[in-house]
Amino acid sequence: MTPFRSAPAGYVARWDDVEREVLGRVARDVAELVRAESGLEPGVEVGDGVAFTGVARVPQDPAVQRLLPDAHDEDADVAAEFRHLTQTDLAAGKVARLVAFADAIDSPDALADDPRDGAELVVPRESAQEFAGALTDVRLVLAERLGLVDDADVETLHDDVLSGLDEYDDGDDDGDETESDEDDAAPDEYAGWERVGLTGRERRYWGGVFVAAGFAQESLVDEMLADLRAGRSDD
Amino acid sequence: MNGQTTTGARLATAAVATEAAGDTQVDTREDAATAVADPWVTIVWNDPVNLMSYVSYVFESYFGYPPAKAQKLMLQVHHDGRAVVSSGPRERMEVDVQAMHGFGLWATLRQSGSSDGGSDGPAGQGGGAA
Repeated sequence: MTPFRSAPAGYVARWDDVEREVLGRVARDVAELVRAESGLEPGVEVGDGVAFTGVARVPQDPAVQRLLPDAHDEDADVAAEFRHLTQTDLAAGKVARLVAFADAIDSPDALADDPRDGAELVVPRESAQEFAGALTDVRLVLAERLGLVDDADVETLHDDVLSGLDEYDDGDDDGDETESDEDDAAPDEYAGWERVGLTGRERRYWGGVFVAAGFAQESLVDEMLADLRAGRSDD
Repeated sequence: MNGQTTTGARLATAAVATEAAGDTQVDTREDAATAVADPWVTIVWNDPVNLMSYVSYVFESYFGYPPAKAQKLMLQVHHDGRAVVSSGPRERMEVDVQAMHGFGLWATLRQSGSSDGGSDGPAGQGGGAA
């Protein structure tokens, strides 16, 4: 995965096949989770302006609660009314852009013109905000699953993932996947991943996805911000 | 400081004018005016996931804030745990909060007079694109 760079056609990066596959699958999973938790009718086409019939329900999954949070931290009535009025639209918008994100990164067109590993991914400027928003939702859900609750947790995870890159790059089948798995992980200063019941292997895997999504988003947003400030984010 | 002096001067002028026109009604009229104008605010809360650059991007692109103001609010969220990012009528704050949720930021609305929500915010330049 290379950082996004501004180009005439949009924001361009190179993503490996496995990166496309994993991030695309996670995005579709998150989309399904949001749809189910928010009470959207399954199978309803999103993104084409149809009215939804589903009644907004309060999400039970803490990750979806973070995506569709209470709009008032003290007044439950205000929060409930706001949710009733807005949640369906909000959830549908998130589902639509997560699916669009997944489609964009596994589009055969993006791969066909360049058979090399890490084919170009072009995010047109007019869809960059949606793309970045989908990455945000993916990262928020992964953070919840990883038990990341404060900045220090995230920094520790980053350090562990990055320091373990070489070590674990080819380590998927080296036969240590049992109990010793947790022991040979990089030293941890936060216990969130144990609290949420992840094994060391799961934490490394999902932590790697989280860090990759953050790397992609950071480089994309840096370029978007530069364009915005230069006043040329025309679409 | 300067802004407050100006506001104070204006209030004083208004009070004088009102006093000249009427008598002891001054206080109640001012209270009523304050209550009507009491705006709501949109508060963005810190979270460990959203990137500082993304939060700045949201504040600049959605609210149209200049980079310096967006950066100041972003840092306020980061260090203080939250910041008031817009103020105005409740309906407009609901639009802003929904937009923030759309971006993946954690936002709430609050009546600025209630508890402690509104006093530290950048009042005045409220509201975003609709």
